[in-house]
Amino acid sequence: MEFVGKILFMAVMAIFVQNFVLMRFLGLCPYIGVSKKLDSALGMGMAVIFVMTMASTFTWLIHTYLLVPLHIEFLQTIAFILTIASLVQLVEMVIQKTAPALYKSLGVFLPLITTNCAVLGVAILNIQSEYNFILAILNGLFAGIGFTLVLILMAGIRERLERAELPVSMKGMPISMIVAGSMALAFLGFSGLKF
Amino acid sequence: MKYYIKLGFVLFIITAIASGVLAYLNTITQPIIEENQRVAQEKARKEVLPSAVTFEEVVGELTYHIGKDTDEQVVGYTFVASLYGYSGDVKTMVGINTDLIIEKIKVISQAETPGLGANCEKLEFQAQFSGKQKAEMKVDKDGGTIVSLTGATITTRTIANSIRSAMDKLNIPTEETDGEVE
Amino acid sequence: MTLFKEFTKGFIKENPVFVMALGLCPTLAVTSSVVNAIGMGLAATFVLVFSNIFISLIKNLIPSKIRIPAYIVVIASFVTIVDMMMHAYLPAIHKSLGLFIPLIVVNCIILGRAEAFASKNNVLRSVVDGLGMGFGFTLALVVIGGIREVLGAGQFLGINVLPESYQPMLVAILAPGAFIVMGLLMGLMNLKKKK
Repeated sequence: MEFVGKILFMAVMAIFVQNFVLMRFLGLCPYIGVSKKLDSALGMGMAVIFVMTMASTFTWLIHTYLLVPLHIEFLQTIAFILTIASLVQLVEMVIQKTAPALYKSLGVFLPLITTNCAVLGVAILNIQSEYNFILAILNGLFAGIGFTLVLILMAGIRERLERAELPVSMKGMPISMIVAGSMALAFLGFSGLKF
Repeated sequence: MKYYIKLGFVLFIITAIASGVLAYLNTITQPIIEENQRVAQEKARKEVLPSAVTFEEVVGELTYHIGKDTDEQVVGYTFVASLYGYSGDVKTMVGINTDLIIEKIKVISQAETPGLGANCEKLEFQAQFSGKQKAEMKVDKDGGTIVSLTGATITTRTIANSIRSAMDKLNIPTEETDGEVE
Repeated sequence: MTLFKEFTKGFIKENPVFVMALGLCPTLAVTSSVVNAIGMGLAATFVLVFSNIFISLIKNLIPSKIRIPAYIVVIASFVTIVDMMMHAYLPAIHKSLGLFIPLIVVNCIILGRAEAFASKNNVLRSVVDGLGMGFGFTLALVVIGGIREVLGAGQFLGINVLPESYQPMLVAILAPGAFIVMGLLMGLMNLKKKK
């Protein structure tokens, strides 16, 4: 039962209290780029959840069974990013075959998941936090969910913003940033949430 | 097929060269990094137990160091108390004398809110811990004598509680208590 | 383009952060203090310049199909070098930049310049481009960091610059402040561009 409690705590931490996008500043580039439309945001979110979970799995295995035993932890950055790049390549091929419409709407942002700091970020964080295998996978999963949550919220808001009256210089990026700031302010309220 | 092998080979060569260079650099920098960490720990220990000259490590449930002066007399002990605070682990180096009274503390690692919890690194805050014993290691709200930082009760509570629970785990052999800290 | 123009384009006209909206993750994360901003800016510039050099040197040896993974390995290597060097010789800054040093490898600026410039230009131009972009990045970081540190802590580079009576706007150095300052600055850049 205590284990379930720990998992719940982890989920709340990763999704709300230490949200990867709004609190840790990870995953911003695609966040800004894709969150314009609700359905592409959802598709992107799903892809990211999958990649982050898979990435957490494989990078943990590589770290534990390859890097540490051979004392080559300094190759972590190279090993991890190559793993992630390969995973994204794989996901791209799968989506292209199974959901071509989604593939088209995601466009260039799909390969860009490779450079999504959140994916590499969570992989490194798992090692830093010394999580075991299960916790690492779960952390990847929850971080992805947190990212998707914020992405969807942002997309919803931005769809409305399209019709709002704004000074021309604030349209697009600037107002998105300020909206993100307001969301971050709201999420700040989750800080200190402990049970 | 031959084409893919060529691709893989080129990538392999690049990675191999990169790994080689990094391995070499690692042999140079790793010792420096370890030395830095050792020196920093040593410095922190000296800060919280100024009367000690040498430190002897005792490994256990809670690893601590015995501090001795120039005459090889035990002057106290140092240990690291760690607990998850507001936004991460807060690690505090604590120095206690032979009567188990705190000499000094030093927060050595924290990631708390800047301007609020992060002020736990300020000397004025840490000074209040000196001269206190384990029973007092609670925030005043919880019945102890530790005054909270403004707007950072959680961080303060974390430090106080971490010290108390660390001292609970401390296994210092004394004549009367035979290895139990009262 | 003259060599000089190649160098200065990264400052304002094609500033990677404000104009091209690249490298956002580290920008928002490390600008809570000016010293961190400078540290990150210099580290990223180092990686950018050397990656550009190497990629420009080997651009004709790499088959097009694997150029992205190849660039990634080169960039990741230099990031690891910077990581090791900082850990050994600048431990304080290494500690405050933390996770974001290895994350330089997914800084879109570096991969972006490798793909858009270094792979198509000679070494000299690539060096100049790298220096210019790196400097523009550092400049952007310092500007944002300056604003956030002064507003949020009343300090610049750790030195008090505002009167004692100033109550710092803590939010400026917290997450929401980062987004809001960024949004306002981007709006300002847009305004300037229109003139």
